[in-house]
Amino acid sequence: MFRRILIANRGEIALRIIRTAREMGIECVAVYSDADATALHTRMAHIAVPLHGTTPTESYLDMDKILAAARDTGAEAIHPGYGFLSENAEFARRVKDAGIAWIGPPTDAITVMGDKISSRRAMQAAGVPCVPGLTDPVDDAKAAIVAAESIGYPIAIKAAAGGGGKGIRIVREPDEMASAFRTASGEALSSFGDGRLYLERYLDRPRHIEIQVLFDQHGNGVHLFERECSIQRRHQKLVEEAPSSILDEATREAMGQVALQAAHAVQYEGAGTVEFLWSGGEFFFLEMNTRLQVEHPVTEMITGVDLVQEQILVAAGQPLRLRQEDLRISGHSIEVRINAEDPSAGYLPSTGTLHNLRAPGGPWVRLDTAMYRHMEVGLTYDPMLGKLIVWGPDRVAAIERMKRAIAEMNVGGVRTSLPAALQVLEHERFVSGDFDTHFLESLTIEPPQEYEELVAVAAALFRHGAIRRRTMDAQAAARTDWKERGRRDVSAFAKRRLDRGELS
Amino acid sequence: MKLFVQIGDREYPLEIIEEKGQRKVLLDGEPFGIDYREADSLGQVIVMHAGRSYGLSIEGDPQRAHVTLAGYSYALTMEDERERAASLAAKEALGGGGPLEATMPGIVVEVLVQEGDRVQAGQPLLILEAMKMQNEIVASGDGVVDRIAVRAGETVPSGHVLIVLRGPEAE
Repeated sequence: MFRRILIANRGEIALRIIRTAREMGIECVAVYSDADATALHTRMAHIAVPLHGTTPTESYLDMDKILAAARDTGAEAIHPGYGFLSENAEFARRVKDAGIAWIGPPTDAITVMGDKISSRRAMQAAGVPCVPGLTDPVDDAKAAIVAAESIGYPIAIKAAAGGGGKGIRIVREPDEMASAFRTASGEALSSFGDGRLYLERYLDRPRHIEIQVLFDQHGNGVHLFERECSIQRRHQKLVEEAPSSILDEATREAMGQVALQAAHAVQYEGAGTVEFLWSGGEFFFLEMNTRLQVEHPVTEMITGVDLVQEQILVAAGQPLRLRQEDLRISGHSIEVRINAEDPSAGYLPSTGTLHNLRAPGGPWVRLDTAMYRHMEVGLTYDPMLGKLIVWGPDRVAAIERMKRAIAEMNVGGVRTSLPAALQVLEHERFVSGDFDTHFLESLTIEPPQEYEELVAVAAALFRHGAIRRRTMDAQAAARTDWKERGRRDVSAFAKRRLDRGELS
Repeated sequence: MKLFVQIGDREYPLEIIEEKGQRKVLLDGEPFGIDYREADSLGQVIVMHAGRSYGLSIEGDPQRAHVTLAGYSYALTMEDERERAASLAAKEALGGGGPLEATMPGIVVEVLVQEGDRVQAGQPLLILEAMKMQNEIVASGDGVVDRIAVRAGETVPSGHVLIVLRGPEAE
């Protein structure tokens, strides 16, 4: 087993990995940018190596710096987390060339699954059901109209190098094709530097259901059932759960087998996720994420398997300890993402200093986060601050537990996505399981009116007290004056960014 | 002291009266029974109302605040009588113009106008970079640039005033 590993990431996922590694008796090396000098992952690791620089390109995406940190500290393996370099085949290759174990899949699997067209081709060859459509990019709108006849409308135009919803257009009639093709191509070119487009059937009322798989280096693999991630907005997931409320036992088993088939086809190793679109009882391969997923905890909660631990054991060459017949779904788990954004103002990003922080507790509540009091939330990194995860014996109990946990939680200083998640959990369509990937977009996020009078009175009394303190005691006012406090934080934040050379 | 609290499109007129060490609150002229305590000076508040207990968290400044209660988030603005009079006078002086605020936090890339410039509705006034995209902030109506409150390179939080326009009615 490894004695020391390096975690090439930051935030909650760095902490998640450090926690398991510590429990396994493995030492952890954290890396950090200048902006993260006080971040929790630098404090929780055994060794913290500065990468310098502030932008991701200067720090967490700089392969040379990370490899140098691994060599200097004698790390025997690198865990990339998710995002950053986790699905970068070149980095995986360089790690292995440096004689360091890569806690992730083989480079070929990353390459094949990283491209929408090559992954689709590989999956069709392996007999995995794909959304009806083309394997090859189309040249122009005319060719697209011809191809659309055999696929059937409605058609989705997608960027070959795509992701994150960019470069996608829905075409319901042939005469919409020309303009949709032009705008999608332009968007794909500007977002990914690659204007190639392909076509596929657009599925109505789709649900996003994905299967967790785990393979060792000796050809053994298991699936750990599904996660449902249909509560999303612009392909950004907000609420995830396991198991799905819509799958029957036969479909669950069929999806699991297809996911294993997909992973086998690319000689997969480690933890991975095969994403499917489910529509009207059919399911189709969407893509495979060749890394640990943000929402992996819901799978851990219903199976009792520590996925990070299994990843590390696989990377160390150990044969899989799990057998498919031993794996069972126990109860229900829900995860909610805590993003720094304002769901009542179009989900715009929210920045600030975390003045107040209250974590929920109680039975079967798990909070995976790297937040700490006085942490500055800026625009440099991903807005996801953490994840709240609960388990319950059944779906109803898990929903009630999550509502209770959100009511206990307070992230003061920035707006978060929690009120949006709460509104989803309270909605009868979510409770009854009658939703699709468009559900979240259809909601207007606003708080209930019944508490408004109380809120108005409390805020007025708080203001009254703050202003009175200021007039009675200048020194106390300096400590308590909330307006000044906010101003100072904003300007200090701007100054630090200036010092870092981020602003010119 | 009278206060006007605005939540969404609803306004709550309040009066806080202190006499003989007792504090009373009137909402819409009617007494509003509330037992109010602060757990710290950072906005952690406990209130009792109609026999029930609530924990609230209040963030912001005396004019604009966010209140979190039982997982819900309320955005509100507050004005006393003096502030209300001042803001009404300012609105009048700006003659249909007014301040343009950043709708999201970002970095001011470029200011395209100067104070005193005559601008038309829809004319780009400055470029704000947010969410890795450059957004043109345009004039909400015809008018004159009364004041530029930011400079290129500045980081601004959401709600920060960028530019104040004076409308045609002010001339």
